[in-house]
Amino acid sequence: MALTSILNVRYRGLASCVPKNVVSNFDCPPEQRSERERLVRNIGIETRRICHSWQCFSDLAVVAAEKLLVELGWERDDVDALIVVTQSPDYLMPGSAILIQDRLKLRTSIPAFDINLGCSGYPYGLYVLGSMLTSGAIRRGLVLVGDKSAWLPDSLLPLFSDCGTATALEYDTNAPPMHFDLNSDGSGYRAIMMPVGGARERTDFYHFNPQNAEGSEKRRPVDLILDGAAVLNFSIARVPVAVKQICETAATPLADIDYLVLHQANRMINETIRKKLGLAAEKVPSTLHEFGNTSSASIPLTMTARIREDLTLNGRKSLLCGFGIGLSWASCILETDRICMPALLEA
Amino acid sequence: MEDFDNFVANFTSAVDFQEEREIRADTKLADLPEWDSLAALGVIIMFDTEYGVTITGGDLKACPTISSIFELIQARRK
Repeated sequence: MALTSILNVRYRGLASCVPKNVVSNFDCPPEQRSERERLVRNIGIETRRICHSWQCFSDLAVVAAEKLLVELGWERDDVDALIVVTQSPDYLMPGSAILIQDRLKLRTSIPAFDINLGCSGYPYGLYVLGSMLTSGAIRRGLVLVGDKSAWLPDSLLPLFSDCGTATALEYDTNAPPMHFDLNSDGSGYRAIMMPVGGARERTDFYHFNPQNAEGSEKRRPVDLILDGAAVLNFSIARVPVAVKQICETAATPLADIDYLVLHQANRMINETIRKKLGLAAEKVPSTLHEFGNTSSASIPLTMTARIREDLTLNGRKSLLCGFGIGLSWASCILETDRICMPALLEA
Repeated sequence: MEDFDNFVANFTSAVDFQEEREIRADTKLADLPEWDSLAALGVIIMFDTEYGVTITGGDLKACPTISSIFELIQARRK
């Protein structure tokens, strides 16, 4: 989509919460150690935070939201809208946002709904909530973003990690514009997908048996499909172009951007994008090594875990770019001024 | 014409071998223990950044030997 700007909306605060449970990619049989070292070296992910079996994304997001409300000094009744961006809802239905409205004791007279997006979800969440606030008809909103990595075959376990985040936006006529560029290419939907469990193919007992799909390795149809090569090609072709384009149309040179916060896919993808854009590593913070790929939460988690102090003390211009499942990619240029950011939370 | 030795150096770096392997033009990819999905990602990036050529996972699956990957560079650059 062409660049669109949202006026009168201030980015007020962000809180991120990860599970306490730390899993190491080096936790493997000794004979696999060398192979794992090669994997960790290339994907850049050593440890991950994994929910307990009883824990959902929503549990992490609620902890983040509770803390953020306290730090901002917002009353529950001050919240006029609640949006949840997740692909791991508590239930297939109803949506998680409605359940969280009650858990957070927000008013019943507010809209609460889910957005089904993954890696690209953070800029989308800001855009949708920002669009609702821009007229001033409602004044304060929360967007909760993140996922619990579930339904993974063993081969994909080393990549994914869990996180829930809460972001607060507020109507403010003095706020600098937020710039957005949002894109979709559904022709690539097979690159990352859960083929079973939706209405197209309901889960059946035989989906739990490993099968050969199209002559490739055996996999269980209930597990996530991830075509690494297709995602890689998509990411390194689309993202550098998208970053340059939003800078150009927002009349903000890339050199004026303090931080490029990318979705944390894996080191190979993120480093290729960074090098194509000619940016120094300090300008492109990464949490891959410690927190892996946390889906839609990876951008806000990286802001909390890596640049929190700077963002709380100073005015900064950040370019956020999420890309992946859909295929979908979205960028946002965000000018923040001393935002409210609690330290990283654990639950 | 690309330099084959230079290509082998790039390939070796992209695959990130755990142990030293002898790479010749007729080396069969299936005989290399590290020739896996991770190696394919490294080689796709190497094609993009070193040679400006986009290849897919399918292109690599269709290659039986090192020389067939090398030939992809020439074929795709046309």
